[in-house]
Amino acid sequence: MWDQIKQALIQSTARFLTEFASLLPGLAALVLAVILSVVVGWILAIVVRRALISLRFDERMAGWGFSSLGEGSPLGSPTSVVSRSLFLLVLLTGFLIGIAAFDFAWTSLFVRSVLSYIPNIIGAVLVLVVGTIIARFVARSVLIGAVNLNLQYARLLSEGIKSLVIVLAVAMALEHLKIASGIVELAFGILFGGIVLSLALAVGLGSKDLVTKSLERDAKRAAADEIEDPLRHL
Amino acid sequence: MATNSIPQQPTEETKSADRADLVIGILADMSPEAVAAMCSALRTLPGSLRIAVLQNGNANNPLPLQSSEATPNSSSIFFAPSFLAKPSGPGAGPLTMAASYQSVFTAGEKLQSRGCCVLASRLESEIQQWAYRLAAPLVGGDTDLVLPHYARHQFEGLLNSCVVAPLMRALYGKRLSNPMGPDFGLSRRLVQKLLGKERGGGGANGLHPLVSIAPVALCENLRVAEVHFGTRSYPPPDWTNIGSLMAEALGPVFLDIERHAACWQRMRVPAVVPAMGEPVAVQDEPASVETTRLVESFALGTRELQEIWGLVLPPATLFELRKLSRLAAAQFRMPDELWVRIVYDFALAHRLRTINRDHLLKSMTPLYLGWVASYAHDLQADGALRPDQRIERLAVAFEAEKPYFVSRWRWPDRFNP
Repeated sequence: MWDQIKQALIQSTARFLTEFASLLPGLAALVLAVILSVVVGWILAIVVRRALISLRFDERMAGWGFSSLGEGSPLGSPTSVVSRSLFLLVLLTGFLIGIAAFDFAWTSLFVRSVLSYIPNIIGAVLVLVVGTIIARFVARSVLIGAVNLNLQYARLLSEGIKSLVIVLAVAMALEHLKIASGIVELAFGILFGGIVLSLALAVGLGSKDLVTKSLERDAKRAAADEIEDPLRHL
Repeated sequence: MATNSIPQQPTEETKSADRADLVIGILADMSPEAVAAMCSALRTLPGSLRIAVLQNGNANNPLPLQSSEATPNSSSIFFAPSFLAKPSGPGAGPLTMAASYQSVFTAGEKLQSRGCCVLASRLESEIQQWAYRLAAPLVGGDTDLVLPHYARHQFEGLLNSCVVAPLMRALYGKRLSNPMGPDFGLSRRLVQKLLGKERGGGGANGLHPLVSIAPVALCENLRVAEVHFGTRSYPPPDWTNIGSLMAEALGPVFLDIERHAACWQRMRVPAVVPAMGEPVAVQDEPASVETTRLVESFALGTRELQEIWGLVLPPATLFELRKLSRLAAAQFRMPDELWVRIVYDFALAHRLRTINRDHLLKSMTPLYLGWVASYAHDLQADGALRPDQRIERLAVAFEAEKPYFVSRWRWPDRFNP
């Protein structure tokens, strides 16, 4: 009996070692793919960083209202964000190539499903970027217009409008990514409606007296201006 | 146009419409009586001229009925409203101001006239003399551009006084009180240059007539003169729309600066432009301007627009603005040098497209209102300067800071806020 146990152990060890040995080429290919992608990603990141610096990318982003893009992020300026995102993308690609080197059906399926998800990711990123640009443009327009109208709550109005547009963009991006679409729809509806209601309450009820006085003052001023205001700009 | 009340008009137009010595374009609302008085004065121009008057007639403002023939001692006048371009398309509204000016210049070229006069102001006094005063120097042949010198109350035409006129004076080297008219007298030579540049530039970025007339004349070394006018009426301020007014007025000015950069960088010390006629005295009653709301607008802008101004103005200027915003309304004074550098920095940012141009110009509104408050305080202080002295001091500051603007224009990266 001890001979049979010994025989079974030797056979299972041999099977395991054989299976493991068959994995080695795939593992080596994975490690090599990751190392190569690190090197290529690092070179690409340096090239892209230098190109963006020569194009004054950070200043242009600041002009479009993205000066705070890097402030909340540990990565730093917009140039750093772009170059490091490119590096991570190349690294991920190398990892997927390495995974595909394993000759298993499930790894091929995994790689195929990841690749088929990439258009959704690209679409979601585009929606987020465009949505953020529009949000910042609209917020800046509202801020300048409200300041020129001498509205003391100009900043609140501007941030509220920006939040609305960004929430809309994030909801659309999540729908593109097909992540819990039912929950996202419901959450978006509640959040969007809540923001609109809060703004209306803050401006309408919360500053009711201020708005009333402001409207009365404007009405009196409009009547008085016709007779008394000597200022003529053009 | 009520054509059945002017049965002779089409025939007169056909016979007279091939040429004219002078074209008068009336873009303002003028009553038939005022037009008739103007024509009577024009008939006394020397030289038995043929004068075409262009005015769009309508039911409320029908055209005068009578043209006149020339006699040895007077000029002839005929009315040719058909030369004015009409807006195209169904339900089209009236022409824009720029299109109206272009229309008059094109009519002048078609009629091969020696000069064009454009009357666009709402006039308050001596209406009949305005067209005559614009036309007389053109007819004499010794002037290419005639600009008005309006008699102005102390708080009228502020954008012109604090930005447009001193800026053009510093850049183009001529002391013009109203470089943007809106009333002008132009010689044939100047009209041809303007139309040539419009065709060459073309499209949406073509010349804006009101802004480009004076710079084109100065850059081409044409002869410029001013004539003393009386007072004109200004539209009352629309406080809900000051930002749009700033954008509409200063956008074309900054665009024109960019277009003529090679010219104004060569100009040196400004020269005085001869002014014809007797200056009209204006009695300024001590007017009180409520400056509190202006100072509040400035303070609100300093608080909320720092992020935007920080893209345009250097840190030293931002620091000065923050200091000013902490002053009490009664003590608020904006130094001329500060205001001048702000205008120059905004002109540069407009060229570099640092931010959206419409946002840039509208964000300048609180700064402008701060300057207006400071100007009002200067005039109301004890021992104050007269308004013309105060504006002259500002204009000298624009000239003194021109080297700063030229160096920033040439090397914008030298200092980058």
